[in-house]
Amino acid sequence: MTTATALTTAARVADAVKVYGVGDTAVRALDGVSVAFPAGRFTAIMGPSGSGKSTLMHCAAGLDTLTSGAAWIGDTELGALDDRRLTLLRRDRVGFVFQSFNLVPTLTVEENIRLPLDLAGAAGEAEWIDALVDTVGLRDRLHHRPSQLSGGQQQRVAVARAFAGRPDVVFADEPTGNLDSRTGGEVLGLLAGTVRRTGRTVVMVTHDPVAAAHADEVVFLADGRLVDRMESPTADLVLDRMKAFEVPS
Amino acid sequence: MNASPRLGLTSLRAHGRRFAGTFLAVFLGVAFLAGTLVMGDTLRASFDSMFGGATAGTDAVVRGADVITTPGESQGVRRPVGTSLVAAVEKVPGVAVAAPDIQGAGQLLGSDGKPIGGQGPPTLAGNWIADPKLNPYRLAEGRAPARSGEVVVNRGTAEKGGLRIGDTTVLRTPDPVRVTIVGLATFGGEDGMAQVTFTGMTRADAERYLTARPGEATSIVVRADPGVGQAELVHRLTPVLPQGVEAITGQESARENTDMIASRFLTVFTTFLLVFSGVALLVATFSIHNTFAIVVAQRTRENALLRALGASRRQVTAAALTEASAVAVTGSAAGLAGGIGIAAGLQALFPAIGFPFPEGDLVISGLSLGIPLAVGVLVCLGSALLPAVRAGRTAPLAALRESAVDTSGASRPRALLGAALLVLALAATLTGVLVSPSVWPAGLGAVLALVAFVVLGPAASGPAVRVLGGPLDRLRGVTGGLARRNALRSPGRTAATASALMIGVAVVSLFTVFGASLKATMDQTVSRSFAGDVAVSTPSFGAGGSGLSPRLAPAIGALPEVDTAVGLGRGVAEVGGEGRALTVTDPAALARTFDLGTVRGDLRALGTDGLAVTRAEADRQGLHVGDPARLAFTDGERRTFTVRAVYGQSELAGDYVITRAAWAPHRTQDADTLIAVSFKDGVSTARGKAAVERVAAHYGNPEVQTRAAYAASSAGGIDMMLTLVYALLALAVLIALLGIANTLTLAIHERTRELGLLRAVGQTRSQLRAMVRWESVLVAAFGTAGGLVLGSFLGWVLVRASDGASDSAFAFALPPARLTVVALVGLAAGALAGVRPARRAARLDVLRAVATE
Repeated sequence: MTTATALTTAARVADAVKVYGVGDTAVRALDGVSVAFPAGRFTAIMGPSGSGKSTLMHCAAGLDTLTSGAAWIGDTELGALDDRRLTLLRRDRVGFVFQSFNLVPTLTVEENIRLPLDLAGAAGEAEWIDALVDTVGLRDRLHHRPSQLSGGQQQRVAVARAFAGRPDVVFADEPTGNLDSRTGGEVLGLLAGTVRRTGRTVVMVTHDPVAAAHADEVVFLADGRLVDRMESPTADLVLDRMKAFEVPS
Repeated sequence: MNASPRLGLTSLRAHGRRFAGTFLAVFLGVAFLAGTLVMGDTLRASFDSMFGGATAGTDAVVRGADVITTPGESQGVRRPVGTSLVAAVEKVPGVAVAAPDIQGAGQLLGSDGKPIGGQGPPTLAGNWIADPKLNPYRLAEGRAPARSGEVVVNRGTAEKGGLRIGDTTVLRTPDPVRVTIVGLATFGGEDGMAQVTFTGMTRADAERYLTARPGEATSIVVRADPGVGQAELVHRLTPVLPQGVEAITGQESARENTDMIASRFLTVFTTFLLVFSGVALLVATFSIHNTFAIVVAQRTRENALLRALGASRRQVTAAALTEASAVAVTGSAAGLAGGIGIAAGLQALFPAIGFPFPEGDLVISGLSLGIPLAVGVLVCLGSALLPAVRAGRTAPLAALRESAVDTSGASRPRALLGAALLVLALAATLTGVLVSPSVWPAGLGAVLALVAFVVLGPAASGPAVRVLGGPLDRLRGVTGGLARRNALRSPGRTAATASALMIGVAVVSLFTVFGASLKATMDQTVSRSFAGDVAVSTPSFGAGGSGLSPRLAPAIGALPEVDTAVGLGRGVAEVGGEGRALTVTDPAALARTFDLGTVRGDLRALGTDGLAVTRAEADRQGLHVGDPARLAFTDGERRTFTVRAVYGQSELAGDYVITRAAWAPHRTQDADTLIAVSFKDGVSTARGKAAVERVAAHYGNPEVQTRAAYAASSAGGIDMMLTLVYALLALAVLIALLGIANTLTLAIHERTRELGLLRAVGQTRSQLRAMVRWESVLVAAFGTAGGLVLGSFLGWVLVRASDGASDSAFAFALPPARLTVVALVGLAAGALAGVRPARRAARLDVLRAVATE
């Protein structure tokens, strides 16, 4: 499954093992997962609670370290980087959208979007940011604080921020978890649309089949192992596949 | 155990670290207080036992009955007793030995030619009393003085001056006397009586150099035959004593000595330290209150849950107070131990820095344990009371809301109240300073200003941080901007944190401004009233030094370069029943070297029965030129003088001036305190100064200073005091910084997820650390700025109020360089306070932002 070449792969992990705790209380959250996320594609990671999908994302994004195995962003091996270089890599080459608490409450919408660029001390990119603001439809809210926005608007700001630094890959962790289905649908449409229009890569963790249906491909995780992949998913197909996990094997 | 205390204690156990800062604040404040009290008691007890032991052999002291005490002096001047009385005393049945005790000022020069001591404690000289039981000093090495010029000195003095037995040096009495050291003495088993220097001479030498005329002694010390009690001895002695001479028991004499040291040194010392521990505790109050307020705000959901589950307001409040009591009691108890440790440490340290500290156990009285403990617990509980009540008022519904963080800012009523207070404060101070100069309204205004600043803090913190942090955005980019906005997040909290530092800095700047003003005043005094070219003086402080030889002024006056040399001596007398210092000098020459302002009457016509008075003193006593004034001298004589002149300025010349001839019959040990010299026209200061120095070298080598140098050295003591004050205030500032660090740590705890998010989207650890540090600096900058403004204002009030209340003019000066240093220290300290919280924040796990709930 790791046959995709580095040129067409935005991020990948090989033989990823993640163990939490030691001895009797040790939990194998990832148990030898190898998966590549192709560039220019919108991939969803699905699985029931405790399947290791969030852990996989954290390790692939450089937020967490693997117990064994390796993870790459592009052709950079994450295990070889110290904290500083890992942070810079996240800043320059990775974007994030989280389920909640996505924005810094003291910064305005515009400042939140520019945050990764400002942290890097990068000046330009005005056109790109401008286009992003239009894409997420927040031009009239640029000088508002996050507390003055609805949940859906906040998440759209987070999406704009995730793409602000033209990252190689954007990781989204249950981005619609706190939203109703309509606003959730808008945010997912935004993610999918941005991938298609700009050729960026998105990897999204979700347990919602409807959300997963927006992706180009779904990978299924269960008990820390990769169990299936599905191209061009629909909500019904994903739901059926998920139901299969719940049947005692 | 009841539910409330149990809840309080479990939560303390779970979140003990949050109270580390509170614990430290209580600990430091209480330790300082307890250390001061234990130290004071121990010093008092050791002086007691030292005097008791050293003078145990003295059963009675015969001395002049009348004592004249001038304002600002604890030890009065007594009339000497005739040595001829010794024979009469020895004949009294029950008297074993009687010896004259002749005491005066005598400052030794060390092997390097510099005077030993003189910076505070007295420099004494006296006759070496042969009877070992009557002499408080014991010969430790060598022998007693037998011939003229031989002396015994206490060992501490000899060591400090690098002198050994057989060495020859000069004793300023103040007439320089060449002396040879033949013995070293101890006092009560120590190398000396604290820092007091003592030189013991033969009786003949002592009479010659230390008294006005031979045949006089300060007192007569008496030892009784075995079986005769002290009271009995005094009873038997009294009938043989002439009018104006009294006898007291040895015990009374020892107690008087101890009381004198206690009032002159110990009380000042401990009061001084107590004031500063008060400042430290005041600062601690703010820090502690703030910590509890934040913790209660952070626990809103937890407390709301308790309330929803049926806990009463009282129970929630009680739980919070239990937690506070536990911190208060442990902090105070640890502080007590720390205080005793400090006292023990100082006891060990003092001898190491050459300050003979009397040996003996630490005296730990119930009071010096009880007071700090009570104060510590009260301060801590008092500070926690409001937050605890607020905890009890938590609405049960708050459990359902998103975690509420205290963002309280300045409420309108608060801002109005603060503004009203500030107006009141200004009105009171301006009345006290400008309209009718008086210290009370000014003092009230100062206190009101302090309260107004604290009340206005939250309202001011927003604009202030915005202005102070303005450059940060440009200088530090997004990191600086984030720091500034974090400091603005909860104006109430920022203000409370900064208030502690503000008070510390305010006290520091108050002293800085006051000190600078005092210096400016001295400078002004010298430049205004000293019209001479050079001044000869012996730099000394307090009771030290021995003054200048009265023969020096005439010797300088005889120099061809010199136009006028006038010596100023000091005498005492009672005028209108009150002790007053007299300036003994040549009034005609005085008018040539000092600017005395407008003179009514004629200074040259004082003669032996005339005196001159300052206008202010004349107004007080209701005297006019030509009026008679009754003066009572220490020798018991009362004489009527005529006021022949009233002059305007008093700073250097004193309130009363009489001639040497008028003083001569009543004089004690002769010494001038200052010689003012003016040169003839055409003599350069350098040439004149060199000539004066050559003469002075023969008279114990006192310092010759130009006008500017004299003004500067007059102010030398102020710098010493300021250094001490800064050292003592460092503790208050430290407590304030602990408060900032603690608030930041708690804020970081609140912002865990936000910090995690920042790290996730690419904020490096060093950027995160810088952000926290800059927030700390901003809070400190706000506190420092407030403190500088408040302190300078209070300094101005103090200076102006003292100016109005006394007759000597008081200059106000703002020292920009020193205040800048204070500001920089405040900022640097803020950066320092942020170091630990910043490090903790940087260690945060990025994933905690991602792992929701």
